[in-house]
Amino acid sequence: MTLLYRFLLYLYPPSHRREYAEEMIAVFRDAQADVRRGGFRERISFRTRETVGLLTGGLQEHLRIFSGRSPMNSFTRCDMRPEFRFPKSTVLLMSVIFGGVIVAMREASAVQAKYGSASDSMWHTFPGFAGWTFAFALVTVAIVWVILFALGRTGVHRLANIQPGLKQK
Amino acid sequence: MNPLPLTEPVLLVLLSLAEQPRHGYSILKDVEHVSAGRVRLSTGTLYGALRRLLDEAWIERAEEDERPRDRRAYRLTSRGRRNLQIEVQRLKHLTKLAALRIARKEA
Repeated sequence: MTLLYRFLLYLYPPSHRREYAEEMIAVFRDAQADVRRGGFRERISFRTRETVGLLTGGLQEHLRIFSGRSPMNSFTRCDMRPEFRFPKSTVLLMSVIFGGVIVAMREASAVQAKYGSASDSMWHTFPGFAGWTFAFALVTVAIVWVILFALGRTGVHRLANIQPGLKQK
Repeated sequence: MNPLPLTEPVLLVLLSLAEQPRHGYSILKDVEHVSAGRVRLSTGTLYGALRRLLDEAWIERAEEDERPRDRRAYRLTSRGRRNLQIEVQRLKHLTKLAALRIARKEA
């Protein structure tokens, strides 16, 4: 699990990793040692919580850097600025995050297969579902990117920056 | 910018540091203890909150101790303590109002 944790830390921006990665791994190890004394359900709950925490945390840190803001309650404020550009790296980030979710769920599936009866498990259908979802997400991202790229080429997105009454030469 | 009201994880982290400086794992355990096991922060959530609080200068690193880099402690700044007091006052007012309204409805 520590290996997966280290892998998921790469979802964070490099600056965040440099500053906090060592600390986060140390705290994670302490918490993991605590959970090892607990039951199976507690261990699964811990792993899920940590995986989701890293996925959302990584995404929030990237969004904070893109928007250049650091509000205390960043969950409630999401206003777009006129100079907003769709970053190409977001496509890669979203793909990596989705890959991370699949890896985490596969690991959970392996744990379930090892410790519990998996005869009635929903995981049998998961690879197909994940494949279709991933394909759908890629197509959606590609369409959105093409639209934004086209807008960028035409300069339509810069209309918001034109001052009223400003005469064009 | 008025950053209040606070999210629950941020409020609990501040409450944890109000008593004494703590390092990451100690904050995790204290938050769990204070919330009677209801709130269990992930390390991602904790360090997201700590990073934001450091940026806003509500907390600072306790540099005087000689802990290793992976066991750094954090403490509340005077600004953080003042904002925590404001938030607690806000919550007190809210619970008082809620109690009054519930009592009025029951009467």
